Amino acid sequence: MSSPILQLDGVMKSYDALLATNNVSLDVVAGEIHALIGPNGAGKTTLIKQIYGSERPDSGRILLNGENITSLSVPKRVRKGIGRSFQISNVLTDFTMRENAIIAAQAQRQEAFQFFLPAFDDASLIEDAMVILDAVGLTSKADILVSELAHGERRLLELALAMAGEPCLLLLDEPMAGAGPQESQHMTDIISALRARHGILLIEHDMDAVFALADRITVLVEGAVIAHGTSAEISQNPAVREAYLGREDEAC
Amino acid sequence: MTRFFSLIGRGLLQHRAMMYLLVGFALFPLYTGFADLPFWNDVAIRIMLLGMAAMGLNLVLGYGGMVSFGHAAFFGIGAYCVGISSYYDIFNGWIHIGFSLVTCGLMGVIIGLLSLRTSGIYFIMITLAFAQMLFFAFVSLETFGGDDGMSIDRAEFGLIDLYEPLRLYFLVWAALVIVSLLLMFIVHSRFGVTLRAIKSNESRVEAMGLTPLKFKITAYVISAMICGLAGTLFASWQEYVSPDIMHWTRSGELMIIIILGGLGTLAGPLLGAIAFLLLEEFLPELIQAIAPDYAENWMIVFGPILIAIVMFGRGGLLGLLIKLFQRKGAS
Repeated sequence: MSSPILQLDGVMKSYDALLATNNVSLDVVAGEIHALIGPNGAGKTTLIKQIYGSERPDSGRILLNGENITSLSVPKRVRKGIGRSFQISNVLTDFTMRENAIIAAQAQRQEAFQFFLPAFDDASLIEDAMVILDAVGLTSKADILVSELAHGERRLLELALAMAGEPCLLLLDEPMAGAGPQESQHMTDIISALRARHGILLIEHDMDAVFALADRITVLVEGAVIAHGTSAEISQNPAVREAYLGREDEAC
Repeated sequence: MTRFFSLIGRGLLQHRAMMYLLVGFALFPLYTGFADLPFWNDVAIRIMLLGMAAMGLNLVLGYGGMVSFGHAAFFGIGAYCVGISSYYDIFNGWIHIGFSLVTCGLMGVIIGLLSLRTSGIYFIMITLAFAQMLFFAFVSLETFGGDDGMSIDRAEFGLIDLYEPLRLYFLVWAALVIVSLLLMFIVHSRFGVTLRAIKSNESRVEAMGLTPLKFKITAYVISAMICGLAGTLFASWQEYVSPDIMHWTRSGELMIIIILGGLGTLAGPLLGAIAFLLLEEFLPELIQAIAPDYAENWMIVFGPILIAIVMFGRGGLLGLLIKLFQRKGAS
């Protein structure tokens, strides 16, 4: 097994009396999709936020490629190789797809703080932008304003933006949320192909997608890891079936 | 270098309205000369300077989405830089401008660092609070005239004697051209595009590995310096400076000018300044002619006109003009 890209070591976080993350340790290795599942309120997004840097753990360590990033800010972590898609689509709605990608491309080149270089009509940035959009098959819609896009296309754009910086780790927070069955399948295919280039930590409620994609699964309940293992192990685990998968049927 | 000039060329084409306005201001003295209306040159100077200050604020308000309610403070600091320099017998205009740019830049850094950590209503209130603090500081500074302000002589710019007719006019015009070109570059540059992205969605910009605060503070400082420059020239033109120049109502005035002309556009604030000051100039006379008894209350008409334009003309006057010309082009 290769050395982990991401390693969490005894991470704890509480909000007043609520223990949101209870001594969580897990890792993501290169070339794998690691799914994080659990019922609503289990603390999945809170955990992602701590890896991403918008929340800090009370104790424990977060390592990226062996380097301790526990106290770094969001932009610094992103520059070290973390890309994120959010639970609610988070793209630049006042701009076209191409402009979104251009802004990401210039940020990735560390040229965003330039006062006298053109942006939207710079040939080499446009080229980079098309590569970014091509990764999710959106080049034909490059000139459409994001606010006029369908929900599924926004999710794809967000995924493209998250990948623009060629991060070693992708944090995907419910990429299928709100998508129809066809869109879900399309997204599943795309994410599956990403495994070769990025380690991926995936939060998802769509169990078909999780079992189709995940190499390993960690189950979180009330902030604590109750089980982890391969997809096959988890689907057989009686504690998981009771705590989570069993309830799934009733909920749907 | 060719890239640089192609950028200017393309920018000017994209901002024809701005180009027409600048050319218009350059030719305006010809008209006032023939028609013998020197008073109108002064109105034009006032428009250009308030327009310039509004353009500065617009970088923050329109492009960056930061609602600063205290930009009159920078206008006032710029003006007081002339007053304070003159008090110590420094009359060189270049020094006034340098003093003003440095002071407003520093004040911009300090106020920006403290206020930009907040957003929304808190940001509005903090910027207003800083402006009020500075206002009362100058009210209490008896050395520089306190409440009554101080008379000053027009600055000396080497061979350019500002007391000669039209010299001040074209100095202001040249400054306006420089500021316009500078802003044109900034808003289309990678920095400007990122600033607009921050206005649209700050957390996505952060997810791209950028620190939004760095961009916001830089924009804030640039806008403070532009307002300061406008204030410096304003003081020299008015030959007088008092705390009233930085009263909070002027911050509001600048915001109204921007929204009136077109938020987040290059030519909008200048267009807004023209409309605002002309209304202010003509409305009292108009009402005097129609209903002399109510002439004092011209603001009762002024207010609703502003509200109507802001409410029904989305995109401001510039938006209305563009719609008008596009319809003409289509038919």
